[in-house]
Amino acid sequence: MVGGNVWVIVPILCLGVGAFVVYLVARLLTKENGWLASLTAGIFVAALVAFVPLAVVTRRALDTGGPLPMWGGEESGSVVLRSDPGAVVIVGVALMLGVLTSTYSGRYLALDRRNDLYYPLLLLMVTGLCGTVLAADLFNLYLFIELMSIAAYVLVAFRRHSRRAIEAGFKYLVMGSVGTLLFLVGVALIYRERGTIALPPISSAPADPTGLWTRAGLAFFLVGLGVKSALVPLHTWLPDAHGRAPSSISAMLSGIIIQSAFYALLKVSLGTGMSARALGGVLIAVSVANMTLGNAVALVQTDTKRLLGYSTVAQTGYMMFGIGMGLYYGIPEAIQAGFFLLVAHAAMKGLAFLSKGVHRFYLDTSTLEELRGTASQLPLVAVTFTVALGGLAGVPPLAGFISKWFILGQVLQPGEPLAYVGLAIFLLNTFLALGYYLPLVARLFIVPDSTAGRAKERVAISAWMAVPLVATAALVIAIGLYPGPWWAWVEGIGPYLLGR
Amino acid sequence: MTAEMIGLLTILAVPVAAAVVLFLLRGRAVRFAGWIAGASTVISLAAALAMLPALYRGEVPTLTMPWIPAAGIKFSLHVDWLTLPFLVTEAAVTLVAVAYSWGYHHADDRSGAFYGLLLLFGVGMSGTTLADDMVLFYVFWELMLVASSVLILMWGEGERRAPIALKYFIFTHLGSLMVLVGLIVLYDATGTDTFSALRAGITLDPGLTRMVIGLFLVGFSVKMAVFPVHLWLPDAHTVAPMPVTIMLAAAMLSMGTYGILRFPLSIFTRADVASFALPMMIGGVVSEVYGALMALAERDIKRIIAYSSVSQMGYILFGLGTLTAQGITGATLHVVYHAIVKALLFMGAGWVIKSTGRRHITELGGLAKRMPLAALCFGIGALAIAGMPPFCIFDSEWMIFSGGFHTAHIGLSVITLLGSLLTVVYAAQLIIGIFFGSQPEGLTVKKPHWAIVAPTAFLTALAFIEGVFPAMLFDWVAHELPLILGGQW
Repeated sequence: MVGGNVWVIVPILCLGVGAFVVYLVARLLTKENGWLASLTAGIFVAALVAFVPLAVVTRRALDTGGPLPMWGGEESGSVVLRSDPGAVVIVGVALMLGVLTSTYSGRYLALDRRNDLYYPLLLLMVTGLCGTVLAADLFNLYLFIELMSIAAYVLVAFRRHSRRAIEAGFKYLVMGSVGTLLFLVGVALIYRERGTIALPPISSAPADPTGLWTRAGLAFFLVGLGVKSALVPLHTWLPDAHGRAPSSISAMLSGIIIQSAFYALLKVSLGTGMSARALGGVLIAVSVANMTLGNAVALVQTDTKRLLGYSTVAQTGYMMFGIGMGLYYGIPEAIQAGFFLLVAHAAMKGLAFLSKGVHRFYLDTSTLEELRGTASQLPLVAVTFTVALGGLAGVPPLAGFISKWFILGQVLQPGEPLAYVGLAIFLLNTFLALGYYLPLVARLFIVPDSTAGRAKERVAISAWMAVPLVATAALVIAIGLYPGPWWAWVEGIGPYLLGR
Repeated sequence: MTAEMIGLLTILAVPVAAAVVLFLLRGRAVRFAGWIAGASTVISLAAALAMLPALYRGEVPTLTMPWIPAAGIKFSLHVDWLTLPFLVTEAAVTLVAVAYSWGYHHADDRSGAFYGLLLLFGVGMSGTTLADDMVLFYVFWELMLVASSVLILMWGEGERRAPIALKYFIFTHLGSLMVLVGLIVLYDATGTDTFSALRAGITLDPGLTRMVIGLFLVGFSVKMAVFPVHLWLPDAHTVAPMPVTIMLAAAMLSMGTYGILRFPLSIFTRADVASFALPMMIGGVVSEVYGALMALAERDIKRIIAYSSVSQMGYILFGLGTLTAQGITGATLHVVYHAIVKALLFMGAGWVIKSTGRRHITELGGLAKRMPLAALCFGIGALAIAGMPPFCIFDSEWMIFSGGFHTAHIGLSVITLLGSLLTVVYAAQLIIGIFFGSQPEGLTVKKPHWAIVAPTAFLTALAFIEGVFPAMLFDWVAHELPLILGGQW
């Protein structure tokens, strides 16, 4: 008997059905980019509106200590979806990014074809994302994460005429599928030991796993989902994929898709019985690798979007550092800080990719050199790009600085030497990252003296692109100046993941 | 809201509002940009001076508004006797720099942005001295850096301004990060963000205390540009447009001094800081001698004066390191007097450069007859920096040396004294190279804009007046002593 709280399934239904509706409209009525984009944005807005009750109900369940809202069968083994604080945050961010991206695509896709496939795939990708973070058992999680991933593979290779885009999509497909395969092996091993593939709320998760099969299964989970979350050294698909996808898709991928896979990793590991301390230790170790490798390799990049891709690897490292320290030492506020960075990063990285896309659309630039002096032609985009990069670099008073302040403030709580070492590495990496953020910003504004006489003409950008850019830039500044409401939004995740 | 609270807000709000207006007006602001900026700096300075009556009554004007309640972070501004000299100095330096820009900066459609950024640079400095909350302090600290980097990047001279601005940002940011770590450790230890809690005294375990003091000292020394973390300074000062150089050298460097006084020396006890006294004094002496030697070796006027800053900051660090009443008072006074004299020197340099189009002392000479007023002002500036009475720096240097002689390290103090001889030599070389000797070929002299002459003459007079009547400033600075090192002298 299927029952439970219907609000849990409504966002998924809305997006999934919407995908089909858009496809039908595109095939039968019009292929006009503006119409399809508006329709897609409208569907995202509808899903966002329908998502609000879910957020409210989940918060109320946490406050009163009642059971989390779920959908599916009443018995424990057949619950399909269950909401939790982290899922609420990730779905909310994904829907907001979806609105911005689809509006932006209203003009950005004008140079591409096959937009009858683009918009449905975008909706399906976010449907898969919602299902991934809301799933209450491992099979459904597999279903939805595959939906998300396959839509993502196709979208990465969207520009079929480009050999490198096909190669990037193919690499993403192969590595992502290997990840999923390892995940399935993990599911099989867990099933062998436990006899169930249900994913309970973390507070009722089994205690420390003692069985060999469970431990092996957890290892497979970590690696399998680690591929999709771009944990070093499983991240190698990311620079290519995020570099070659259309910028609007890169914004989604870097902004929230990776982070949703990471949240799935957290849910699955902790829900199957891995201790917070063990997972925290793994995350801290991996975060150091992510941060350092991401920043170091970004320094030598010449292509802008690949640079932003490596920046995502590094920023994921910062998030994992906060979350890992929180899990290891049992500090909910540190986990809260890591998720705060997740939200802030989605806004900042989304803004960065969208700004870069405008450059490509109007000026056909892709390398860092080609961005030189473009501020005179695209002043608004230069400002938004600067806001995004300044935020990522951690310049106050933008969102990135306050995120780092929160993380640093929390991880020093235990007062142990490990915390100070981690702090030193974190700060060194922040410092290292300046080496590629700052020159990028400077390059936008500096015109070499030799060409100073010939000022380039200003290019007017379409409102389809300008509005999302300005809105996201305002968001980045707002999160930086008034982090209070956002900080409160991510509050429940820490206690939830620690099983309290 | 009391009048003082409004005054506190005015010091920051008026320049910020003016900057926003200037940015929004863009090209249309060309004719008015300078006047708007000037007016807002006058208001800001007046508001800063308006704090004096309250301070004399023994009050401590404070303004607190909630900002991020969940993390205990507040928007909190606060003026006490430690803040005041620094606040007034940098407000005044911003004012004269803006006035100087009227004559020095070539007006074009980016003028609005130029003046706006100058104002934001000034706000960064004011905010740093006024901030009573750690996050707020750091935000303003970085604002100084961002605003000045953009100014160097966009209006700097020469093809190399982009890499130099980058070097400046990264180098200084390294110091800022060290300060940030110190701030976060303190935040963690006390659980609050406001300095008032810190002033009540905190106890950390000894290893942590030493680490925090060390981090603060090194981090703030980067900003003060003492050897060996001064490497950002010569290039940045040389390439920056002159008004920015004036603000950098005269005001921003002293923010490092403010940081050292506000953090390690106010929060911790004398016993905690004592082990750092000798390194500070040695660092100060090394910086002093190094800066003076490099100034002797250089030929570009701006670079000479830039290295002179490294040298003078060495005096200040030495004075702070003595941990005596005279030494610390002398160091703070030196901040103010150095601001006057360094601004004067750079303004004079700008006068010469604008009039002749040349910047190397090998290409200049014999200008005393053709630019008598410039020679007078520049000459007084050079005498002042060399520590000659009756000019102001003599007074502060006297106090620093006397502080040094009160410590056990007499030898270092003697070296400091001898080092000041080098200052005399490079100052003399500068003056003689520009104004005396034979005139080289093809040296033309244009009449300068009045806005270049007036501030320079004003500062010349001020250097003399402060040298002869230093009582008021001495009184202001002496009031800070109870706040430092627990007030035990």
